[in-house]
Amino acid sequence: MHAIETLELTKKFGSTVAVDKLNFEVEEGEIFGVLGPNGAGKTTTIRLLTCLLAPSSGSAIVGGFDIIKDSIRVREIVGVQTENPSLYERLTAYENLDFFAEAYNVSGEQKKRRIRELLEFFGLWEFKDKKVGTFSRGMKQKLSIARSLVHDPNIIFLDEPTSGLDPESAREIKDLMKSLSKQGKTIVFSTHILGDAEKLCNRVMIINKGKKIALGALEELLSNTNKKILKIALRKLDQKVIDAIKCFKQVKEIRVDNSTSTVSVVLNASEEVTPEIIKSVVLNGGLILSVNVANQSLEDVYLRIVRGNNVEN
Amino acid sequence: MRINKVILIFKKDWREIRRNWQILLPIFVIPFMISVLLPMFILSTPSIISMPASSLAGIENLMKNLPKNIQTEIKEMNIQQALIYIMLQYFIAPFFLVIPIMVSDVIASDSFAGEKERKTIEALLATPISDDELFMGKVLVAFIPAVIATTVSFLLYSVVVDLYSLRLLNGKLILPNLTWLLLVFCLSPTVALTSIGLTVTISTKVKGFREAQQISAGITIPILFMLIFGQVMGIVILGPQMIVFLTISFLVANFFLFGIGISLFGREEILSKLV
Repeated sequence: MHAIETLELTKKFGSTVAVDKLNFEVEEGEIFGVLGPNGAGKTTTIRLLTCLLAPSSGSAIVGGFDIIKDSIRVREIVGVQTENPSLYERLTAYENLDFFAEAYNVSGEQKKRRIRELLEFFGLWEFKDKKVGTFSRGMKQKLSIARSLVHDPNIIFLDEPTSGLDPESAREIKDLMKSLSKQGKTIVFSTHILGDAEKLCNRVMIINKGKKIALGALEELLSNTNKKILKIALRKLDQKVIDAIKCFKQVKEIRVDNSTSTVSVVLNASEEVTPEIIKSVVLNGGLILSVNVANQSLEDVYLRIVRGNNVEN
Repeated sequence: MRINKVILIFKKDWREIRRNWQILLPIFVIPFMISVLLPMFILSTPSIISMPASSLAGIENLMKNLPKNIQTEIKEMNIQQALIYIMLQYFIAPFFLVIPIMVSDVIASDSFAGEKERKTIEALLATPISDDELFMGKVLVAFIPAVIATTVSFLLYSVVVDLYSLRLLNGKLILPNLTWLLLVFCLSPTVALTSIGLTVTISTKVKGFREAQQISAGITIPILFMLIFGQVMGIVILGPQMIVFLTISFLVANFFLFGIGISLFGREEILSKLV
């Protein structure tokens, strides 16, 4: 069974189409990344699936419940970490979790145990009686994630979960996501940090202007293109060298990083042309420090897809 | 509707309000000023107490429009006693409607629009608490303190007034009486609900609690001033009949206001107004 299934899911705000006929499924236990530029419709998609907004047309099934007919049941079984921490700053960390636990029908000893478990996991137990208003951004972010897990939901929506966190805390959150996925929990998360998506997601969906423009496993997205990137680090950048590289018809794009004197050459097909390019660089007076051939990263694929989509529109 | 969820919202909001001096200050100070300082000022100002008989001419209209039972009562009083009696019994009465309006307005604005402004509303709306439970919890957190503040203020006012009346009116106690009991326990709660209904309706449309508070107060305060002015001029006298009439009028207004408020109190509407 799919944990989430959408059918032509659409949301309009007046004449603006925020989410446009989205069709996708998320499998149980999967970590599913939703990527897209600002205003692409990521947060609106999450709000629709968590029943914070009603769709203008189309529908979705979350955890076996219809988001329109069974909105209360959907809200009971999903955990949501919102874009803003959404915490009560005049209440303590414990009081915040206590309130949300009760709201999600967790009470008594089970509630106390769960709150302690979460606060200890996130390193906030010693601050449990401090008002949230005194917390740093990272602490608030952790508490906000703890809140989304307080009722031990099977489907978890995380909106930019590692944003504002120091590297160590971000690592903890990523480890937690992996561990939750191993326990069979389904995680849908939106992020701008493509490296996180690359490390964590089983599949990603890229949306732009409310429309799905790519969906699939990371390997699929990366292998859909057989483009390679040739990175040449030079002692000194020279326009003559760059012009020489441009002459090759297999070269799709050249990116120059002045700070490291590195030229990244996006090749149209395989890397077979590499020796000729290197030879040409040397013949044009380029002093090579290192050469590296790599596959495109998710960031490269993402930028290519989003830019391509913007041009098409 | 699940009562435990309504109480949960009430308890959470009340816990927040208790720690917010910006809300607590007006809730304590204004009722104290109206129930203690205002009567003490009136009673202890020598210029008022020693006012000459000719001054009564200015409030002739009021005297004529007083309920007959009150006119009977002041017939036995001298001018000074009658004037103080009228002031304590009638002039201050409309000010007591300021208390439920002010308390409920301050709390309801913070509770509804304040959650939007502080961006805490999204996580709350994501919980399986229904719109009705959420709405009712938030109405209660504004209504209960307003009723308690008015009742406590009335008790304080009664003590102050009766301490003076014991001496000035030869052992007679002015309060409590039917007019004031109706005012405090019928009209005040109804007026508080009107203020909450207005604030809720406005809060769904605005982004910040100050905006909600100002618009709501901008509507209720002029009505109140008309009532105070009418009372001073002797046009409207807050006797038992008038209080019952006003209570029914406000109840009818509340019926429509809450209808509009509930229909606007949807997750969609609230989220669309997030800053």
